[in-house]
Amino acid sequence: MNSIRLALKNIKGTSFRSLVIFLCVMGVAGFFLSTTLILRGTEHSLNVGLERLGADIIVVPEGADTKLESALLMGKPTEIWMPRGIMEQVAAVPGVEKVSPQVFLSTLLGAHCCSASEMFLVVFDPETDFTIRPFLEEELGRGLGRGEVIGGRYVFLPPGDKYIYVYAHPLTLVGNLEKTGTGLDQTMFFTVETAQDIALTSQTKAVEVLNFDSNLISAIMVKTAPGTDPHEVAFDIRMDVAGVESIETPLLFGQYRNQLTGMLWGFLVALGIGWGLSVALIGLVFSMAANERRREISVLRALGATRSFVFRSLLAEVGLLTLGASLLGILVAAVAIYLLSDFISTSMEIPFLFPSWGSFLILCAIGIALALGMVILAALFPALRMSRQEPALAMRE
Amino acid sequence: MGEQIVVTPVRHVSLTVSRGDFIIIVGRSGSGKTTLLNLAAGLVKPTSGEVFIGDANVRNMNDKQLSLLRNRKIGFVFQYPSLLSSLNALENVALPASFGPGQRRRNANARASELLELMGLSERLESYPRQLSAGEQKRVVIARSLMNAPEVVLADEPTSDLDEQTEQEIMTLMRQIHAEGVTIMIVTHSLELMRYATRALRMEDGVLTDITGMAGGIRGKS
Amino acid sequence: MKILGVILLLLALTITILPQYNTCAHEGKFITLANGKTIEMKCSWTARAEIAVGSTLAVVGLMMILSRRKESGIFLAILGIVLGVFVILLPTEMIGVCTRMAASCKTLMKPALIGLGSGAIAVSVTALLLAVTGKEKEA
Repeated sequence: MNSIRLALKNIKGTSFRSLVIFLCVMGVAGFFLSTTLILRGTEHSLNVGLERLGADIIVVPEGADTKLESALLMGKPTEIWMPRGIMEQVAAVPGVEKVSPQVFLSTLLGAHCCSASEMFLVVFDPETDFTIRPFLEEELGRGLGRGEVIGGRYVFLPPGDKYIYVYAHPLTLVGNLEKTGTGLDQTMFFTVETAQDIALTSQTKAVEVLNFDSNLISAIMVKTAPGTDPHEVAFDIRMDVAGVESIETPLLFGQYRNQLTGMLWGFLVALGIGWGLSVALIGLVFSMAANERRREISVLRALGATRSFVFRSLLAEVGLLTLGASLLGILVAAVAIYLLSDFISTSMEIPFLFPSWGSFLILCAIGIALALGMVILAALFPALRMSRQEPALAMRE
Repeated sequence: MGEQIVVTPVRHVSLTVSRGDFIIIVGRSGSGKTTLLNLAAGLVKPTSGEVFIGDANVRNMNDKQLSLLRNRKIGFVFQYPSLLSSLNALENVALPASFGPGQRRRNANARASELLELMGLSERLESYPRQLSAGEQKRVVIARSLMNAPEVVLADEPTSDLDEQTEQEIMTLMRQIHAEGVTIMIVTHSLELMRYATRALRMEDGVLTDITGMAGGIRGKS
Repeated sequence: MKILGVILLLLALTITILPQYNTCAHEGKFITLANGKTIEMKCSWTARAEIAVGSTLAVVGLMMILSRRKESGIFLAILGIVLGVFVILLPTEMIGVCTRMAASCKTLMKPALIGLGSGAIAVSVTALLLAVTGKEKEA
């Protein structure tokens, strides 16, 4: 009978108190993991999405940066326009290596002609494009043909249909990009030629006509030359080209990230309060339990157990409970977040992608360490006090 | 105002316990006999004077040394129910071996089983304390006190709360243990038990007096 | 074993009833395609199939409450595990749910069924272990 086995026996024997500590720890560990998973998942989603964009700088009309963010973040279709001629001005800015235009369109909401509602449509120029081409090479080994689209994760063929109908024009879905958790998952990409065909079809067959003016663009994707500072190039674009906003992609979603930071602090405060209250509650429960077992502990000492054995046994009791409870709390939280990731994304209107295994395991380890720290702090002094009591004094009734 | 009240449960005690003794110390509640037993076991250190267990002076020993000494040389029978409620009878009896050397730990269950059989409890190995009668619990405690083959067994009111028949059974067991060479020291308020002793002492107001002549006990080696 | 039977029965009833109340079902359970055809939603078929699986699981739970023999306990537990697996497979691999990102069957019903199915499996595995290691009772 070593201190661990004795601890296990005692846990079994004091089921109500053990349950209180178990539930407390499980709650704290589960809350910690679910909040940090959501925050980490949002960050992961933003990073994957930004990587998918492929550009160093995105140029949009002045004041349209917020619209761009909401389109990219949540896939909410948006309409922003500027003259195509601006592209040459941007290309002329020192440090700009490549430019490629994109046009933003959207499907009709609930129209009979369209199989998808609220889909964000992005038209790109295959001659100059450098953002979508890498994924096309990866997925198809070629570029997009006329009438073909590549979609984000949530673009799908309606059951029983061979084509996706956009403004009554049939399109062939040739592939889906990997999930990002952002609005890019609800985005369809096709070429200028295809856009012109859709516009033509819509004139006779769609509920509404699609106005596609090839002299207007929505955004310019910019690749900076190697060795140049994108921050300086973005600044120069703003200075040299009138009526535009130049956004460095790493700084995209800046407002959103600030909100996330605010949310993080809020969660941390709530967690801190919960943690503190749990320390107090567990300390109280443990003190009460230790007090009741005063005589039992003095019997152990009389039989030859050293102070250190008693101390180790008491800490082992709470330690084992904590390990079990935190693992269960973390497991339940992780499974729930994983299963409900779509629900979290749509109901909280945040981009969300379950973090990588590495991040997840680190968060789990922190959760367990937090729980162990909490319980050891709560139980340390009562355990020390109990192990040091005079056995003879404790035996008195 | 603010006067400190000092209680001296044991004073003017000079006692030598020899190997093979069966000592009974009688006295009413509060006379200091439990404190005397605690001093003898090294569970409390004397404020003055010395306590020797064998050649070891309790005053000079640290907690680890005292714990080891208690574990190896002394068996204790407590007055109150002292079995651990989360362990069954076998585990309770084997408990002292957990604090001893590895060899003892390995053979613990076998020895505990033997001792419980000796106590007539071979059918109750897996019973928990709440499932045992008062007499059965006392026998488990006695078995536990013998686990590490101690040189001396100290018993504090071993027959309190027991009926007459069970009391006799317990004292018969004590006699058997004594016959196997274990030194026994019992403190009790019951004068009836004096007949089992080789030496009888009275504890009154912290002072110990030999009353062996007054007791009709068994005569053994001293 | 009885307590496990009660838990299994409650899980089974939830598995049977819950899918009937997802909003896709309330929208009439049909979708109209661009070519005018109407087809029943996948989640509707899944909900129907879960009635069959859930009801069977409920019977298993009930029998677990009433069962007194070790062998019956083992068979019922194995059946519970198999049915629990089907509860999970129906909305994931066998039939599926709507593919629209915001569809409630996808965001709520499917995760709930996976959770409930896992719960049924966990309870059944516990019952199996108890039945295998426990003592046989008389009928």
